[in-house]
Amino acid sequence: MKSSPLFFLGLFAALAFSLTALVLGTNAQYGRLAPYVDETQGAAFPQQSPGLAARGHLVYQDLGCAACHTQQVRRADFGSDHARGWGERQSVARDYVFQDRVLLGDARIGPDLTNFGGRAANAGLDASRILAFLHNGQGEMPPYPFLFEVRRVVGQRSPKALTLSGQSDYELMPTPRAEALAAYLLSLKTDYDYPEAKPPAPAAKPPEAPAKPPAAAAPAAKEDEKK
Amino acid sequence: MTTTSSTAIEPEASGIDASTRVPLLLLLGSAILWLVAGGVLALIASIQLHAPQFLSRCPFCTYGHVQAAQETALVYGWGINAGLALSLWLLARLGGAPLRAAGLATIGAGFWNLALSVGLVGIFAGDMTGFAFLQLPAYVQPIMLAAYAAIAVAGVLAWTGRRTAFTFATQWYAVAPLFIFPWVFSVAQVLLLFAPVHGTLQAVVAGWFGQNLGALVLVPFALAAAYYLLPKISGQPVHHYDYTSHAFWVLLFIGGWAGGRHLIGGPVPAWVVTTGIVTSVLLLFHYVVVAVNLAGVFAGRRRTALRFVAVGLLAYLLGGVLDAVTSSRDVAEVTQFTFFSAAQTQLLLQGAVTFMFFGALYYFIPRLAGKPWPSAGLICANFGAALLGLVLNVGGLFVAGWVQGHDLNQAGVGFAAIAAHTRPWLLAATAGQALFLLGSLALAANFARLLCVCAKQRAAELLSPPATLEATVS
Repeated sequence: MKSSPLFFLGLFAALAFSLTALVLGTNAQYGRLAPYVDETQGAAFPQQSPGLAARGHLVYQDLGCAACHTQQVRRADFGSDHARGWGERQSVARDYVFQDRVLLGDARIGPDLTNFGGRAANAGLDASRILAFLHNGQGEMPPYPFLFEVRRVVGQRSPKALTLSGQSDYELMPTPRAEALAAYLLSLKTDYDYPEAKPPAPAAKPPEAPAKPPAAAAPAAKEDEKK
Repeated sequence: MTTTSSTAIEPEASGIDASTRVPLLLLLGSAILWLVAGGVLALIASIQLHAPQFLSRCPFCTYGHVQAAQETALVYGWGINAGLALSLWLLARLGGAPLRAAGLATIGAGFWNLALSVGLVGIFAGDMTGFAFLQLPAYVQPIMLAAYAAIAVAGVLAWTGRRTAFTFATQWYAVAPLFIFPWVFSVAQVLLLFAPVHGTLQAVVAGWFGQNLGALVLVPFALAAAYYLLPKISGQPVHHYDYTSHAFWVLLFIGGWAGGRHLIGGPVPAWVVTTGIVTSVLLLFHYVVVAVNLAGVFAGRRRTALRFVAVGLLAYLLGGVLDAVTSSRDVAEVTQFTFFSAAQTQLLLQGAVTFMFFGALYYFIPRLAGKPWPSAGLICANFGAALLGLVLNVGGLFVAGWVQGHDLNQAGVGFAAIAAHTRPWLLAATAGQALFLLGSLALAANFARLLCVCAKQRAAELLSPPATLEATVS
């Protein structure tokens, strides 16, 4: 190689090649993906998180929770995501359209959290249980005591405070960050089935010739697809 | 190349090396400090994997913070600093002219490391971005982009001002990252931080950036050194050199596409994943050519520098094959989201890139500083500890990841059981990180002694003892 302009042109073309396709191409394909409007329910999905949960998303980000938890459920026949109850359906791009910072995660040292709020509701876990879990930790989940303040009870106990075992004069007060994080975790729900999230209909079986003529088999296959 | 006395060094340490001395020693000193700092952080993160309570009361030391900090210190601190130093030195040497804009490079190196230090503090304070390999807080990234560009100017000038029109493979690999990094870094900053794209497009852009940073920035820096050292030290030609340009352009054109393999099963367009898988396999051509080209390093492994390069090359080739294998959906079903992926990253960064960098540093720092390494023993300690550390760390993570993947795919196995099954292998990985850190400390001690010896003892006096010759010969 002798020509510098040609060399740099090659470098430019090489990068432009992947940039155009992977970045600009995908942006053109679904960069303007909008919420899905369900006319039967009169609402659009996904729905935006309330303010406290949105702040909790920032806490989730700044604590680095995504280093251990994913937020993406794979399809039912790929891995055990479905069998573990992490989601009734696979995650789709539309689930994330309202997230300012999408943290899909790339490690599962802990469970997937895509539908944590849905699971918590089924298990009867409320915010106070989540806060206690954050304070104490469990197994491989480390405790986050710095998200709480221990303070002496003056007058009535705060309704938000957690009880400290063996110390009746003190209470454990969650900081605003802890409350926001708990609200965020409880807001994580994928309880709406988008059309694109439904698994593709199984391919129609070929007619067991010669029982039916081909002309008769074709409509039957279309019926299967509709189902 | 065999150096038997100070007279063999001095002609090489000519005006060219003198012109690069200040910016390169600044870059290298910073790189080695970041290597040690990153090693300490990597050790802490590794301990936290099997002892989650470790430092858990410290709000700055959550696993997420430490993991992001160690990755940043090793990639931006060690990898980029050392890679830039190697690139500038190789381009100046092969260009046959003193380095121009060396002052600009020195200023750039200062700002790069200052901004990186601020960025690390920001990560511990929780300002990280959350994107792998782009964790630095948004407020330092533009400064780092400008600093990198300032350093790169010197390299580009060395390329354009070379004495001969003909160029070597070393020069292609050395100059390409000077151009590529500012581009991909600026695109990632804009599309992820300052005017972020919507939804899971962020994952696609982040994957594209991470892949480019590894395959088209750090790897070319390392390969530039390997292509230089093999013929220079062993006196052997690069086998089948005609194919080298093919391997280079294959890496450049399709290397950036392979990031899609990490998104298998994810909420992104299927074609992004498919192209990632296909290009991971196509890249095998590049690995085959590199293996054929550089096979000579195994014959010359008795030389210190080539011994390091040989380990780095093995890690690079193994990593390439594993990338292709694990991009298969069947294999990814087990390895995705597990320590296996972390092992692949470590194999590339700690194995391929770092070992090739080590080899290059042991060769060119004596020439740059004009004096030999003070201790051959510390070089051996670095090699032994780093190699054993690499094997334990990467091997432990591979097995842990495989066990974890199989356990994750059985819905009845809980996370406590998975942790128990992986703990022995994670302990091995921690031991590996500790050993690797010891090896890095040996390099740092040797480098510090080399700098301090400067004022006390003449270089020629140090070259005479045979024990130091062994190190200098590399």
